[in-house]
Amino acid sequence: MQPELSLLAKMKQGDEQAFVALYRKHKDAVYRFALLCTGSPHSAAEVTQETFIHFMTRTDQFDPTRGSIGAWLCGVARNLARKEYTNREDATDPSDLADDASLPEAHIDRETPLDRVLKGEVAEEVRRAVAKIAPHYRDVLILCELSDLSYAEAAQVCGIDIGTVRSRLSRARAQLAERLARKGILGSPVRAKEVS
Amino acid sequence: MSPEMNDAFLNSRLDELKGELSRMKAPDALEAALTAEFRKRHAKARRPALWWMPPLALAATVALVSWMVHAPIVLQPSPPAIEDVAGESDPGPFLALRPLERIALEPGATVVATEFPRALLADWGLPVSPERASEPVRAEMLYSAQGEPLAVRLLD
Repeated sequence: MQPELSLLAKMKQGDEQAFVALYRKHKDAVYRFALLCTGSPHSAAEVTQETFIHFMTRTDQFDPTRGSIGAWLCGVARNLARKEYTNREDATDPSDLADDASLPEAHIDRETPLDRVLKGEVAEEVRRAVAKIAPHYRDVLILCELSDLSYAEAAQVCGIDIGTVRSRLSRARAQLAERLARKGILGSPVRAKEVS
Repeated sequence: MSPEMNDAFLNSRLDELKGELSRMKAPDALEAALTAEFRKRHAKARRPALWWMPPLALAATVALVSWMVHAPIVLQPSPPAIEDVAGESDPGPFLALRPLERIALEPGATVVATEFPRALLADWGLPVSPERASEPVRAEMLYSAQGEPLAVRLLD
């Protein structure tokens, strides 16, 4: 049995140390993911806390044959974070959109009140640009480019197939590049990267 | 600018963000709060469903002991042990040859299967047919510890 699954089994038996070990391993990744999704350290902390409460109470929902604990936690955090940002943005059901459909500019460009989160000027600008991408594209970008999840894991988190992950990632990169170019951070708009 | 160069710039910007993010940590206070929550939830889970059984058993024991201490104790003499020598079912009642009170208080009475002339029954005041006076009769005798006959039971 993998060490992580062994810890999970102990945790289910009420082993506090096993829970702490798993928490320490995944807390920062979950927090960063939530931070990028919500744009607020306070909301990110709340999402992280709720994610791990869900983890300790609904452990049976995790299926090790479908992915890693880290990916599953990101999926939980994503659902919880959505509650945060759907208050600020119109929710878009990805199933309503074709993969190559372009979102209405009004939806994409909506300004959201975002606090400054990062110290680095450029990093903060990039983060803000990421935050303004439509959620179903943004999540894939965050998962694959910033959280180091594999396409398969991102597909598990978002409940989509790997092909859709690739196409959404490509579109998300294109949108991000365009925004950064517009701010003068990138230089000029770019075409979507071919994600193989 | 070529798409490859744009991709390189984009990757560089994403790396910058990633590097900055790597310094972001979940607040330390979360761990303590979550650990306390875990402990609380599992303390509830560890409590057995029949948690009320031990206190109930203890209360019942206390009540029983209290009753035994305070209730009047009635001592009744135990009837003498009667050994079924023949190993058969009870053929009938014993006929007392001594007062019942005395038999009841006899501590070491024993039953002995025996056979004797029927005429002997007359000595104990029992009716005997003269024609059968010489015939043997099977009986069980209840003797005191001193060998005194206390009761007799005829088997045929």
